Amino acid sequence: MTSAIAPIGLMPYLVVSAAMLVLGVFGIFLNRKNVIIILMSMELILLAANLNFVAFSSAHGDLSGQVMVLFVLTIAAAEAAIGLAIVTVYFRNRGSIQVEDATMMKG
Amino acid sequence: MQTDLHLFAAAIFLPLAGAGIAGLGGRLIGDSLAKLVTLVCMAVATVCGILALCHGWSSGFAPHALLVSDWINAGGFEARWMLRFDTLSVTMTAMVLSVSLLVHCYSLGYMSHETMPVYRFFAYLSLFTFAMLMLVSSNDLVQLFFGWEGVGLASYLLIGYWYDRPAATAAAIKAFVVNRVADLFFLVGIGLIYVLFHTVQYDAIFASIPHVLGSDYTVLGTSVSLVELISLLLFIGAMGKSAQLFLHTWLPDAMEGPTPVSALIHAATMVTAGVFLMARVSPLLEFAPVTRNFIIFIGATTCFFAATVGMVQPDIKRTIAYSTCSQLGYMFAAVGVGAYQASVFHLTTHAFFKALLFLGAGSVIHAMHDEQNMFRMGGLWKKLPLTYGAMWVGSLALAGVFPFAGYWSKDAILNALWATQTGMSHYAWVLGTVTAFITAFYSWRLLLLVFHGSPANVAARDAAHESPLSMSLPLVVLSLGAVIAGIILAPFYIGEGQVLFWHGAIFNAPDNRIMENFEHVPSIIGLMPSLAGLAGIAVAYVFYSMAPRLPAQMASAFRPLYVFLLNKWYFDELYGFIFVRPYKAIARALWKNGEEGAVEGLPRDLVRLTSQSAAQAVRMQTGSIAIYAFTMLAGLVVLLTVALCG
Amino acid sequence: MTPNAVNWSLAIPEIGLALSGLLILVIGVLQKRGEGFFSCATLTIAAFIGCGFLVALSPDGVAYAGTFVNDSFARFMKELALVGGLLATVVTVGYQGEARGTHAPLPFETPILMLFSTLGAMIMASSGNLMTLFVGLELSSLSIYILCALERDNVRSSEAGLKYFVLGSLASGLLLYGMSLIYGYAGTMDYAGLLTAIGSEESPPLGLMVGIVFVVVGLCFKLSAVPFHMWTPDVYQGAPTPVTAYMASAPKFAAFALFLRVMTGPFGTMAPRWQILVEVVSLLSMVYGALAAIPQTDIKRLMAYSSIGHMGYAMMGLASASAAGVRATLIYLAAYLVMNAGVFAVIATMQRKGHEVTTIADLAGLGRREPGLAAALAIFMFSMIGVPPLAGFFGKFMVFAAAWQSHLYALVAIGALSSIVGAYYYLRIVKVLYFEESAEAFDPPATTLLFVTGGMSAATVLFILALGPLMTVAQHAAQALVG
Repeated sequence: MTSAIAPIGLMPYLVVSAAMLVLGVFGIFLNRKNVIIILMSMELILLAANLNFVAFSSAHGDLSGQVMVLFVLTIAAAEAAIGLAIVTVYFRNRGSIQVEDATMMKG
Repeated sequence: MQTDLHLFAAAIFLPLAGAGIAGLGGRLIGDSLAKLVTLVCMAVATVCGILALCHGWSSGFAPHALLVSDWINAGGFEARWMLRFDTLSVTMTAMVLSVSLLVHCYSLGYMSHETMPVYRFFAYLSLFTFAMLMLVSSNDLVQLFFGWEGVGLASYLLIGYWYDRPAATAAAIKAFVVNRVADLFFLVGIGLIYVLFHTVQYDAIFASIPHVLGSDYTVLGTSVSLVELISLLLFIGAMGKSAQLFLHTWLPDAMEGPTPVSALIHAATMVTAGVFLMARVSPLLEFAPVTRNFIIFIGATTCFFAATVGMVQPDIKRTIAYSTCSQLGYMFAAVGVGAYQASVFHLTTHAFFKALLFLGAGSVIHAMHDEQNMFRMGGLWKKLPLTYGAMWVGSLALAGVFPFAGYWSKDAILNALWATQTGMSHYAWVLGTVTAFITAFYSWRLLLLVFHGSPANVAARDAAHESPLSMSLPLVVLSLGAVIAGIILAPFYIGEGQVLFWHGAIFNAPDNRIMENFEHVPSIIGLMPSLAGLAGIAVAYVFYSMAPRLPAQMASAFRPLYVFLLNKWYFDELYGFIFVRPYKAIARALWKNGEEGAVEGLPRDLVRLTSQSAAQAVRMQTGSIAIYAFTMLAGLVVLLTVALCG
Repeated sequence: MTPNAVNWSLAIPEIGLALSGLLILVIGVLQKRGEGFFSCATLTIAAFIGCGFLVALSPDGVAYAGTFVNDSFARFMKELALVGGLLATVVTVGYQGEARGTHAPLPFETPILMLFSTLGAMIMASSGNLMTLFVGLELSSLSIYILCALERDNVRSSEAGLKYFVLGSLASGLLLYGMSLIYGYAGTMDYAGLLTAIGSEESPPLGLMVGIVFVVVGLCFKLSAVPFHMWTPDVYQGAPTPVTAYMASAPKFAAFALFLRVMTGPFGTMAPRWQILVEVVSLLSMVYGALAAIPQTDIKRLMAYSSIGHMGYAMMGLASASAAGVRATLIYLAAYLVMNAGVFAVIATMQRKGHEVTTIADLAGLGRREPGLAAALAIFMFSMIGVPPLAGFFGKFMVFAAAWQSHLYALVAIGALSSIVGAYYYLRIVKVLYFEESAEAFDPPATTLLFVTGGMSAATVLFILALGPLMTVAQHAAQALVG
């Protein structure tokens, strides 16, 4: 795992992934625009976890982290597909993809 | 021996049978049959009672008892249903049964105009009789207390017989509650008796008295003689039942009941139960001189107080009621000096003439169509000659004119009071003699107002007619009794034959010579009661016959005193202020704050809390995805904090 | 056994189920449009039953290099999940039979998706590695996201699907992040490895705790425990009734299986650290489930809150952190399965002219219209309150007893209180059934639904008879896990 560029240690990776996590999480509930943003934020969160896995795998010298990443990527893709399908069906019925409009059921 | 016990038992239990049949089955068998059943049972019982009396007299009244059944047997405390056959119980039984039978007969006529069925009334009357008989025939204090409470119950039922009248129901409750207060003391007394003697049977108690004379009891830091304390407590119980001062407020109100009830219960029988109790526990009382002094004081003061109030009352029945209260005072005064025999003698004679007066008053009320205010009567002597004559006889007996019944008994009491030669008894003698004057005064006041003078309501006077036979016959019988009872019974009750007669039923301590001494008072003292009585009659004539405007002028001249007497010395108002109002306030507070506030409020508030929380909880669910996600985040942060810092 | 041994024969039930799922999918595609449903459904039911037998016969062991574990606990949870899936599929058939209304009937994929979701649940129950955990979880969840939105022209169904998807993905993301942190600080994703790595530590490092909390959050979401429950009422209400029936059973069991296995396995030695988390969550769930259900007017929504409360009670068993607690939770889940399936079967009969009607007011007077259904529903309601000798009582009793023995007195007290408060809305339904004016009549119920209802009410009433054997099995399962 040596590289020509000076190794920067584990911490930056963790910080970046934490930042991505926070961005993703806030993206879910802070956006007023539309549901697609939510899908994007979800991907961000999954990618944050992936980054963590890769970083730790590299740090421990254990391949299972990177294997996990492959699994997660597949699942993330499936999830995105399903999500878009649901959004489409929803739009067909509701006519809008505003987050605030998704409040038909409450109480 | 056995026959008289059987007769005795029949005399006591037949009224119960009559009450049961009439009371429980009256609706089925109908009024007339119910009345017949009770009357027959009472008649047979009276005959049995009198026969038992005769048997007992011929056998010398040796005390013995009939065991009916066992009752309580718990950890050393024993009580049995027993019928004690001795002079006191048999004579009382005969007296109660006779008066009760006459009252039953009288009620047939008096209650004939009722709209509702009257089988209840007769059942109550018989029930009362049974309870009173259980009281007098008891062989231990528990059965006596059973009878005590039984007569109280019957009194309540009968005073409030016309239950649709608020005044009657209030009076019934007042009678019951005041008696209850006294009964509390009585019960404590019984308890102390058990503590001291370890038994409540009369014979056992009386036999053990010499051994316990020195026992003391520590109450509130001071040490009192236990015998004194017990006697005091028993006396307070008697005060309630016999309407002595401070516990007398119920008796005038009890006149709300039908007149036969007043005659039976509040003249002849129930109110005398207190005197009976004192006579019964005479062995105990003889060794409680302090209590007896107190009894003299209460008795004499009651005597005087009731007479002063009675002389200004406008209601005919209330006048006679206060008269009863006053005469009961005499009886207690006699008990206080140790002259129990004289007390019981006066009790017996009083039963006759007071019942006579009440029944006569009932006759007047019946004739005047339920008018009870004497100032609205007048001039009735031509219309109601029999009643008039009976009232004269009763009044003469009450005033103590020779040779009517009251003379013998009242004079005996007053002489005994003088002969005791203590300050308290002389105080009592003075009050007693003054009361004799006032008694005669208000008795003739009643006669003159009701039967003489110009009628207040001419139409009513003209419509009045004499009572039917069912009401007149008891009047005649009682008049006979009022005339001759004194002469005939005096030798046995208080005269030379008394020791043989009583045969130990009443106990006199060895140093109690009052029953001899009272014969030997100075003649002027012995004449004083008669003189006072005649003076009272004369003054009454002056006031109400010769100068009819004089009473009104006296009343306005001594207005404050008049109002004070008219309002019964303001006892009711005093009690209302001290007891009734605070009690009502406490009850209201407990109801409003305790019951409604806390007990009912707690579930109510809980329910409100729950439903409000539920409404709040549901408000969180806004339907917005953003909010949901935010809540998840918040939860995450909270859990992190708990996990890392907890 | 070498650590890298594949030992795939241990996973025969799962493999079989997966293959049959794919096969049924092919069969469904090959059918004419609109006619594939019943054959697919029947085949799915057959697959469930077959798999059930296979699970019961499967031996203990470890497979796929330690990522797949089979023991009596796994068998118990798998059977529960299979029964849940089976009942839900039967309810789907019954629901489908009446759907002659204006909206399109459920497509043939419905039972197949339920099959896959159950497969995911089974994998979760057998997980021995964080990877397996995640894969199973996602398989299960993704299938359910689709299931929720399957009534394509019902806007509520779509909204339910959307909400579940968004929040579920968030939860999965957090779970994954937590797993990554755990991996980072332990160096391995294998449970056994985690146990050795953590067990040696005196006080766990910060990152590990954070990771554990994230994992717990993700799992609590699946369980609909407070405060991660907010999707439950909307999704339950919006999804088609058979899907709700499924959602209320198998995924919950799977999540519990995961919870129990993860918390008592790798993190078993850290019990005092996470016990407090579980206590807090349990308490909040019980109380909130009891309170928020009170003003509800839609019965599916009410059942959602009810299930939140029930999960709170079940978690009390976990909070006890003892074998008795695990056993209590397992029995609670068994009882809950029976009651829940029955209730949803009754709800599935609530249709008028093919339209689903789910307000409580529509149940009014059912006691007169359909006495059998009403009686069954009343039995389920009483069982949910916890009235002996019905099934729900035993579950509640055991969790309370386990919590008491672990000295969680406050928890038990609050649990009892919320049980009392919660009894209100169950009783209200009974009152509406019998003591109110009759509402308009429903369509005649399908036979399958009557079958399920009758079967479940019998099971609820006769639960006491099965209690003995059930306790033994649960005891084995608990000991396999904790003991």
